[in-house]
Amino acid sequence: MDILKILNSPAIYLICGSIVLFVAVVCVVFAVRAYRAGCAIGMDTAKMKRAIISSATFAVLPSVGILLGVIALSGSLGTPWPWLRLSVIGALHYETQVAEAAAEAAGISGLSASSMTPQAFTTIALLMSVCIMWGMVFAILTCKRYTKRLTAQSSSEPDAPAADAASDAADPAAAAPKKKSAFAGFGDKAMTAMFIGLVSTYIGSYIGELVSGEGILAFAGSALPLLVALVGAAAMGLFLWIREKKKAAWVDSFSIAGSMLIAMAAAVLFGRIL
Amino acid sequence: MSKVQNTVNTETVSGNDMDKQTFYSRYIEKTHTIGRITSIVTLAMLIGSPFAIGAVLHAMPDLGAFARALLGIGLVYLISCIAEYLIYVPMLGAGGSYLAFITGNLINMKIPCAVNARDIVGAKSGTPENEIISTLSIATSSLVTILVLAVGVVLLIPLQPFLQSPVLRPAFDNVVPALFGAMACKYYRGNLKIAVVPLLLMTVLFTLVPSLTGSTSFMIIPSGAVAIGLAYLFFRKEQKS
Repeated sequence: MDILKILNSPAIYLICGSIVLFVAVVCVVFAVRAYRAGCAIGMDTAKMKRAIISSATFAVLPSVGILLGVIALSGSLGTPWPWLRLSVIGALHYETQVAEAAAEAAGISGLSASSMTPQAFTTIALLMSVCIMWGMVFAILTCKRYTKRLTAQSSSEPDAPAADAASDAADPAAAAPKKKSAFAGFGDKAMTAMFIGLVSTYIGSYIGELVSGEGILAFAGSALPLLVALVGAAAMGLFLWIREKKKAAWVDSFSIAGSMLIAMAAAVLFGRIL
Repeated sequence: MSKVQNTVNTETVSGNDMDKQTFYSRYIEKTHTIGRITSIVTLAMLIGSPFAIGAVLHAMPDLGAFARALLGIGLVYLISCIAEYLIYVPMLGAGGSYLAFITGNLINMKIPCAVNARDIVGAKSGTPENEIISTLSIATSSLVTILVLAVGVVLLIPLQPFLQSPVLRPAFDNVVPALFGAMACKYYRGNLKIAVVPLLLMTVLFTLVPSLTGSTSFMIIPSGAVAIGLAYLFFRKEQKS
């Protein structure tokens, strides 16, 4: 029997689908609890709704990209397993690399349906599951302590956690005379800085790919990721301009997804030219 | 009379304030409990699924090959996961972290999505507002992904030729650059002094050592450390002035 027919059998769909369903229920439980808690501590429901709408619109385009990852892997691993991996815990960046490495270790000549065996598949599936589980393991073991420590650190700041949304909603004046510490207000700046570091790493890698992708300082590598990033940045600049000049706050909900769509459309154009 | 009324109001406000803080503390405690339980169940299901599939296919995983591959590539991902965990938990809070590590796709979706939602509503890191918004954002984006993937899987056969058409391929190969370009504009703006050094540093490193491209996620650590160090220097300078 064709291996892909076996890997696409209803039993495999049932195993994978039940896990996806469980995770979907977990997401609903967390969302409902968070919304109710937000209401209970006096958060503006309009703000929470904006966060939900912006997150939903934001997620559509990357989800289509992830779906393409499912399609790409479905040729060698069947459809249900990549569907599970990329719906739960997995990441588009990692899955193919790990699957390829596991295929080599399992003794088949790479990730292809022609050389796949049922045992190679289950070995690959186990390695994919174990390799990227550590975030969840650390969360189980240390998230409580870690977040408590972070809260304790930031509680010495004027933007202290429990004293903020909760107490300010009840008594804005109470927030005024808080004691300034050496780290006052730095927590938020640190997170912005961390994100700047993250973005800089990727933008730097695109420049490095162009300059040295085909040999150090050869300037013969692919320009496509950098060009796409530049178009994404320009599109975001345009959205920010519209938001500020036209006082259109609603643009925020679509600025990231819109910028990505424009940049991805540009990638199609660049792909034809380059 | 009005003095008495004011005292009553102040006491009511303080009482409400205390209630809210107590409620929030309980919410966080319960979030940890639910987060741990759901993570353990998800983990058991994920590790159990290859064996369940093995039982269906009558082909259990080859544990020797698994161990060999784990020693090679597994260590790389262990370090990457440690870095991601340390970096992202402060951004996401408790609920967001449990959900994000269960649902994955952190760098290409969950983190930018949560940061974007946080910025839109103006929530500050470490606040209850950030905790709630991050959780809502990650839960929503995860559900959208699950839905898109479920619909996509159902429609996979008729959609496959269109989505895999060579014309559209560059678009979907470049989702991440499209995302980081947009985010760069958003975060560099107003923070150029902080952004210049890590950007130059990473550009030089990736240019002189091209093989680092395979370890991009590790390079976030030095780049982030430099950016945070600079942010702290500027922050102290601002405070002094």
